Amino acid sequence: MMRLNRRDFLKSTGVTILGSALPFGLVKVAFGANNPGQKFTFGYISDAHIQHLGGPKFVRNWDRGLIRAVQEANLLSPRPDFFFFGGDLAQLGTKEEIDHGLEIMSKLQGKVNYVMGEHDYYFDLGKYWESKLGPHYYSFDHKGVHFVVLNSILTHDEWTFKKWPTPMDRMLAMARLDNPEGSPFLVGKKQREWLKRDLAKVNKDVPVIVCSHSPLQKIYKGWNFWTDDAEQVLALLKPFKKVTVIYGHVHQVQYNQIGNISLHAVMATAWPWPYPKTYSQVKSYLPVLTVPMNRADPFFERDATGWQFIDWKTGHADMHYQLPNNKDRGVAYNRKTGRPEDTRYQDPKKRIPSQKHF
Amino acid sequence: MGKMARIIGILMTVLAAFGFYPQSSADEFTAEDLKRWEQQFMVVVKQGEKLFHSGDLGKNRVSCDQCHPNAANTHPETYPKFQKQLGKVVKQQEMINWCIQNPLEGNPLALDDPELTAIEAYINHERRGVPMAPGKH
Amino acid sequence: MRRIVYGLSILILLAAWAGAAEPPLGLPKVPIPKDNPLTPEKVQLGDKLFNDERFSTTGKVSCATCHAKDKGFSDALPVSEGIDQLKGTRNAPTVLNAAYFHSQFWDGREPSLEEQSAQPFLNPVEMGLKNHEPILKSVRTDPEYVRMFEKAFGKKAQQITMKEVKKALASFERTLVAGDSPFDRYFYGGDKKAISPAAIRGLEIFRGQGRCVSCHTIEQNHALFTNHLFHNIGVAAQRMPANLDDLRAAVQEVKEKGVDVAVLSNPKTESLGRYAVTRELSDMGAFKTSTLRNIEITAPYMHDGSLKTLEEVVQFYNNGGRLKETDPVPELLDGGIRPLNLTVEQQADLVAFLKALTSSQFVKK
Repeated sequence: MMRLNRRDFLKSTGVTILGSALPFGLVKVAFGANNPGQKFTFGYISDAHIQHLGGPKFVRNWDRGLIRAVQEANLLSPRPDFFFFGGDLAQLGTKEEIDHGLEIMSKLQGKVNYVMGEHDYYFDLGKYWESKLGPHYYSFDHKGVHFVVLNSILTHDEWTFKKWPTPMDRMLAMARLDNPEGSPFLVGKKQREWLKRDLAKVNKDVPVIVCSHSPLQKIYKGWNFWTDDAEQVLALLKPFKKVTVIYGHVHQVQYNQIGNISLHAVMATAWPWPYPKTYSQVKSYLPVLTVPMNRADPFFERDATGWQFIDWKTGHADMHYQLPNNKDRGVAYNRKTGRPEDTRYQDPKKRIPSQKHF
Repeated sequence: MGKMARIIGILMTVLAAFGFYPQSSADEFTAEDLKRWEQQFMVVVKQGEKLFHSGDLGKNRVSCDQCHPNAANTHPETYPKFQKQLGKVVKQQEMINWCIQNPLEGNPLALDDPELTAIEAYINHERRGVPMAPGKH
Repeated sequence: MRRIVYGLSILILLAAWAGAAEPPLGLPKVPIPKDNPLTPEKVQLGDKLFNDERFSTTGKVSCATCHAKDKGFSDALPVSEGIDQLKGTRNAPTVLNAAYFHSQFWDGREPSLEEQSAQPFLNPVEMGLKNHEPILKSVRTDPEYVRMFEKAFGKKAQQITMKEVKKALASFERTLVAGDSPFDRYFYGGDKKAISPAAIRGLEIFRGQGRCVSCHTIEQNHALFTNHLFHNIGVAAQRMPANLDDLRAAVQEVKEKGVDVAVLSNPKTESLGRYAVTRELSDMGAFKTSTLRNIEITAPYMHDGSLKTLEEVVQFYNNGGRLKETDPVPELLDGGIRPLNLTVEQQADLVAFLKALTSSQFVKK
């Protein structure tokens, strides 16, 4: 690690040092009693939505988003231990899209663990994905932390296996976010049972990080910001002292604390989704904690998109959102209040106009 | 002469009541009229919903709902307003055209194009009930 | 010749002075900081300081060397040359309308005209001074300066500090505002004949297919032609650090020499742009949006002067951030830049529009 001045040190090692600059005044970090695992950083790139137009042509906008994230990630110093890709590499799950996305991802310097997204899955039920990237769900250990990758975008068999005219029709139906004939995401019984067996081998003191595509909570069903069996999945995680869930799909900043479980959304490299409350006809449940990301200016194709790296130091995730066209954002766990907080804007008095979504 | 006029008048009223003449009073429309006209509006709303989700408006297959599910974040109630991307105060249709030309890489629709009306109808319908706030950014 | 230049400068000063009270057509009021109210005495003093070549090691370089009145307050060079013709790495931005910027320099490293004014004196490739002492010595002993500083600030000789020097320079620069171009008369003045049909078409392209107006702003009652933000539009893509080792070396140089010296001495470090100041990856290779007013008389273009003509500039943007369609596009290209598919005629119309942004006092007769 190169000798850094204080500002660089802040930038690369996370935000808990800022102390009195934060609205709630963090308690000094104390190791010992709770096992946080070792310190390390990992990167997270998600929701690239590579979209094929025919022949060698792909939607330029989404290509540029992934290309930029990969290049920025390659310039991150110190180097992260590894990366995740959070799902929805492809837009319609075709071989061309997955291949083109993987070609861009191949420039990334570091190992990548892939999480399945619904846009990768519903064309061929994840067959091509598996042939290139391995199992749809799995777990591994790293520096004292137990990582679990779930395929949380399954849905009820009746919907998946009903009589679709073509596989692409099924994919298109799931691709439409506001589809009134959609079907809610599920982790499903089979995976929950696998998870139970997998977690049985893990000591309750070991921090657990779960990576899924859909939020393992219920925010807004109409856009599948939702996992139907979220409660059952979280119940399996509840006995563990420190649990963090990281999810994609929502293309926006979100964070929440449910008991001992912190939940964090990651940004998309492709495009931003609006917050559910901007759909004025329905009720939705965005965690009250969340300070929204800034409203996008659609002229700047990368506005309200980005990628993130996560500093792991205290058994909690310090999210560093890298946002082109915007000041970077940080969401760090506050030991005093026991929940994740935006490092700059959590205090309502510190909000800026561009965070107002209506 | 007056008697004749009175008879003709009564006859016309009777015939009008049976729908033989166009309504002679602008302020008379029936519950049926209302229902029919609102249904005609909803037909156009449905056409707009289809266009909005189609990927046919531009040249890159991107559809409006990829950034605006249920037409969220379009703020129809704020128009006309100063639109940063156009550098002037504009109507909603001009911004719809901006989106078609820019993120969707397409050609703008004529301001009286029924497709543009349909898209506007869908967007506004999904935002029904929100108070007018012209000029709000 | 000198008389003409002198006369012209008085005319500009007076016109600008009038502008400070009532802004020129197409421009808003000049922002004036509370701690430096504008006075004629400060302006005259600033003018003298701006042109004083003694504030350099060779006695031959003043602010006006790179910001020359007869060259649109720039120097017509791709990159500026300071003492002993030492080459820097950046193109001299025009001082005209710099008063409206929210930050100064291509990378916004100084927040105000006042703060900007003190830096070039100390840069090895500009005026080359080790510190500001020679300037202070001059202004504290030269009788003309002593008289003018007392009139402007009420400070006597030894009391004069760089603070007053900076304030005077900034005050002079605040009078260098120029609107009232043919475009302004057409757009804000209601004169439908003020610009050619080609320029009128060019204006629509500027606001439409050209995608210019989002960064080079035109608003309902004035046009600054800048959004005050920083964007990587692809200029000098090949020079930018492509890997972590290159980036670390460049950052190290910035930390050792300071941004001002590092970026003007090394073209590779120079290409970091705003990143050198903020160290945020989103600012990598990003430079401040220039104003386009008087662009016709401030060639060559871009932060390194690499584009020679307005035609090249339009071609550069039309190809999505590169001069030739076969050039590579940087990974970190700003999301607002993309191929425009303008026809040859449309590109010519756009150039015609850009030429209509020259303020009346600078239009060549």
